[in-house]
Amino acid sequence: MKVSLKWLQTMVEVPKDLDAFVEKLDLTGTAVDSVHYTGARFEDIFVGQILVKEQHPNADSLWVTSVDVGENNLGEDGKPKPLQIVCGAQNFAQGDKVVVALEGAELPGGIKIKKTKLRGVESRGMNCSNRELGLGTDHEGIMVLPADAPVGIAFSDYAATGDTILDLEITTNRPDCMSMLGVAREVAAIYTTSYDLGRAMPEPPTQGKAEDFVRVSIDESTRCARYTARIIKGITVGPSPEWLAERITAAGARPINNIVDATNYIMFETGQPLHAFDLDTLAKDAEGKASIIVRAAGQGEKFTTLDEVERTLSTDATVIVDGNAASGTGASIALAGVMGGLESEVTDKTVNILLESASFNQGHTSRTSRNLKLLSESSSRFDKGVDDATCDEFSARAAALMAEIAGGTVAEGVVDCYPVPRKLPALTLNLTKLREILGADIPRSIVVNILRHLGCTLESAEEDMESFRVHPPTYRPDLEREIDLYEEILRLWGMDRVESKLPGGAERIGSRTREQVLTDKIGATLRALGLNETMTYAFASAEDMRLLGMQIPEGAEAVELINPINTEQSQMRMTIIPGLLRSVAFNQSHGVPNVQLYELGAVFTTSEGRKQPKEKPLLAGVLAGSWNRQAWNEPARTLDFFDAKGVIESLARELCIADLRFVALDEADAPWLANGQAALIRSGSAVIGWMGAIHPRAAEAFEAGSPVFAFELEVKALLGAAKEAREFVPVPVYPAVELDLALVVDADVTAETLLRVARSGGGALLSEVHIFDVFADANKLGEGKKSVALSFTYRSPDRTLTSEEVEKLHSRIVRKLEGATGGTVRS
Amino acid sequence: MQTIEIEALQETALQSIAAASSSKELEQVRIAVLGKKGSLTQVLRSMGSVPQEERASLGASVNTARVQLEEALELRASELKALEQSAAIKAESVDVTLPGRSQPIGSEHLISRLTREIVEVFRGIGYRVVEGPEVETEYYNFTALNAPADHPSRSQQDTFYVHDRSGTESRVFGESEVLLRPQTSPAQVRVMENDELPIYILAPGRVYRRDTADPSHLPQFTQIEGLVVDKGISFAHLKGTLEYFCKEIFGPERKTRFRPHFFPFTEPSAEVDVSCGICGGSGCRFCGGTGWLEILGCGMVDPNVFGFVDINPEEYSGFAFGMGVERIACLKYDVPDLRMLLEGDMRFLRQF
Repeated sequence: MKVSLKWLQTMVEVPKDLDAFVEKLDLTGTAVDSVHYTGARFEDIFVGQILVKEQHPNADSLWVTSVDVGENNLGEDGKPKPLQIVCGAQNFAQGDKVVVALEGAELPGGIKIKKTKLRGVESRGMNCSNRELGLGTDHEGIMVLPADAPVGIAFSDYAATGDTILDLEITTNRPDCMSMLGVAREVAAIYTTSYDLGRAMPEPPTQGKAEDFVRVSIDESTRCARYTARIIKGITVGPSPEWLAERITAAGARPINNIVDATNYIMFETGQPLHAFDLDTLAKDAEGKASIIVRAAGQGEKFTTLDEVERTLSTDATVIVDGNAASGTGASIALAGVMGGLESEVTDKTVNILLESASFNQGHTSRTSRNLKLLSESSSRFDKGVDDATCDEFSARAAALMAEIAGGTVAEGVVDCYPVPRKLPALTLNLTKLREILGADIPRSIVVNILRHLGCTLESAEEDMESFRVHPPTYRPDLEREIDLYEEILRLWGMDRVESKLPGGAERIGSRTREQVLTDKIGATLRALGLNETMTYAFASAEDMRLLGMQIPEGAEAVELINPINTEQSQMRMTIIPGLLRSVAFNQSHGVPNVQLYELGAVFTTSEGRKQPKEKPLLAGVLAGSWNRQAWNEPARTLDFFDAKGVIESLARELCIADLRFVALDEADAPWLANGQAALIRSGSAVIGWMGAIHPRAAEAFEAGSPVFAFELEVKALLGAAKEAREFVPVPVYPAVELDLALVVDADVTAETLLRVARSGGGALLSEVHIFDVFADANKLGEGKKSVALSFTYRSPDRTLTSEEVEKLHSRIVRKLEGATGGTVRS
Repeated sequence: MQTIEIEALQETALQSIAAASSSKELEQVRIAVLGKKGSLTQVLRSMGSVPQEERASLGASVNTARVQLEEALELRASELKALEQSAAIKAESVDVTLPGRSQPIGSEHLISRLTREIVEVFRGIGYRVVEGPEVETEYYNFTALNAPADHPSRSQQDTFYVHDRSGTESRVFGESEVLLRPQTSPAQVRVMENDELPIYILAPGRVYRRDTADPSHLPQFTQIEGLVVDKGISFAHLKGTLEYFCKEIFGPERKTRFRPHFFPFTEPSAEVDVSCGICGGSGCRFCGGTGWLEILGCGMVDPNVFGFVDINPEEYSGFAFGMGVERIACLKYDVPDLRMLLEGDMRFLRQF
């Protein structure tokens, strides 16, 4: 909402200090988005009076003047002191009022005023000419003002040359402030002063009666609370007077013609949107009357708005219909509250006007303008609600204005269709409750004063009762409950005056759930392991799954946005990996080859018949390049499959997941992974997730260079498998015996098989077995073979083992391993 | 063997001890003299062949020599050990300014870190954390939060809508009853529906608004909202809580101010500014000359909201507040382009 201060000042007293005024508006709930100035500002230029005019001692054509500029120049005693100014003009006399630019002023022509000496006489300012002020070409002499010009006031105020425009943010609960009148009321309430409409409209000449020219009916009063029609006849369409054009321009509209401008002017002034129809374009019945019907649009009805765009309407839209039009049901002439029609618009030839002033339903207007993507000054007011009580009053004001600026006569009276006049709520204000909710002891007298300045009528407010009755004004539809009054009192009394307190209550504990504790632990562990947390878009392209090579789960489908910003982000992601691959690519293309990232976030799917989609938190990670750059004391540790696996194993250790298993996935199961470096991760029967090397084709699809090792785990499954702690196992007391074994087996015998066979053969006395070497060498071992070296630790919890029993046990394990795998012990 | 020879032997041994230049050499000297086949040991072994009358004095001489040699050995050993240690230390000395062996420690995302810091501030004053779905229904996101049916924030210009697969159609083209939540408040409605009173909760999470990504906007960002419902809660408590929060997060010297505002969910409502940390409140480019930075919105829970969740507003009152973590990140770290938060640039991530 753009507010011209020059206009506002005609309605209410506005404080001189602009900064303080802006802050006051901010602190009472009307945020000032911006302040800008129009026209010349004439800073440091004031009205002055020539007190003394004397000949310059050293120049015949110059005068030395002493000029009174009021309080704009003070002497050492703090009292106004006249300025000595040397002046070359010949057209002024002692006592004349002139325009004085003080030191520091910058004239529109670019001259900057400095203290100077002219032919040896000090000069501290300048008496300005028209041309120097940028107000004309006259440079014959200085500008001499009428004798009543007040000394000391700013020239910009005197000449009213410039304007200050405040752009106010009007919150949706304050439709009343969508007008100059509303802002004036607000300013009056803030400073507890009075306001009025400012400009008086002359009484218009009248002729005829409105009811002889038009009839109005409303089909559904829920669509339109009130519709008034006025008739203005014999007008001449032409340009608006300058003052009106200036005001509506300041408010943000473009002057069109005097009739349209008058409707806009009254809308900006009072908040009442108006529409002027060319009365002669409307069909007349036998009695010569136009017929206005307000009703729902037809489904699929076509209507051309005055911006010459054909619109397709739904029954949710409300239209104004010319009830006498040839077609049986009448023809639409306006889209109620949004925009008029092309056919009935005011043109240069228009002579007679039907002026609409109505109150249309917020919801229908708002939805219609959203559906048609057609926002207008009118719809933005009906969106928030227009006061139906004043439709008639402001229509009369508009008609008077039209008659003033476009000539013509106004038909007496108004055709007013107001089926169900609005009932105003009568509220009860309880002072005790007010003070409890606000936590502030605001005195009754202040509460009463604030409410009165807001236009409320109070009953028994002066009496010493806890409660009194409050009748809010019609223009404040937001004041419908007691709490709404509290808000008004708080904002006008001052939020800064409320003394701060913390809520008490000793029984409150800021606890964390198991899920939150473990989720924090997952993050902390991954970071300790060297992964960096990141965030990527939760949006995805419809192509992402295909590019990656991942299947959408059976029966599920993507969650698609109805109104995406772009096609790359047209649905919600089903995997985090594409986002992470894009981050890998981003780093690689910016000269950062070593990337270790993880993200914890939701993925989404839906299915036929579902309202709210399924959301699943996932933990995903990517590793590319090395852990580190080569350093003076260590080479770069290139990342591989087992770095990623190690991360998951360490995470499982931190989460006390004992039974983690990695099962090889083949290409058909996981096409997004490179065959042979792909694993499903399980804990018992639960699938935790997958890990592996991203297939180079998939990496390339997201512009990432291979290899990239990745994992994606289901957080719920991970937390399900997690334990709070492990069981205590006594520290060994008896010594252990360690024996090593190298076994040559077929290349496809897995480490898991070897370890499982060894453990089952070793029983309780085999306390540990681990693989410490794996190698394949066709020359030494033969084609398709590998050597796996295992280290066995034997120990008993309750005695020292003898070498005989260890050897016996070890031989048994060896035999079992050979039997189970077809391997042979390498000598 | 004469005492005189023993003395000579001792003298030679002492010289060898003194000449030994390493622990190893010294050990060889010891073995040569006192070892099983050492010269002095040989003397002792041959005592049997010494005449009875000389045996005592010779024995005494040998013992004396042995004691003295052992002392000398011990002394020299410790000297050599010290020398060798210092030599070893010298050999192992390093340039302490060379970097240590790198440990791959990862970093926490700036937004997570700030979220955690903010959550900790509130946990300290008895709040717990709740989460909710990111794809919400219109009911929880708008209706139960008292947003009128045709509130402009519901517009598809501002809110992302997703296809409702239950088959329900919306009255406005391009909208639906299912949407990406533009705030985390729906999680609060669920808590008010289901949990016991009093309620002191914080709801952090990802939210969405239909803004094209640019240096100062992201279509997805992080919001933290708080809700208190208890007996006797007033606007003074809201002020006290948020002033405490601002001082904890921005520093004790920072001031706050409350500007009345409008939110459908709260009444009275306010926006909160914190004094600019760059200029200290006198006005600069960072704060747009106002001296203040807007950081959150808040207010007293609107009684209508209590109506949706069956809480008696005559008995209970409450306050709610919400803030954008990305905005706070910008204010604290002056991040020049919000899109950096979603790029995964290691050079950015590892700064925090």
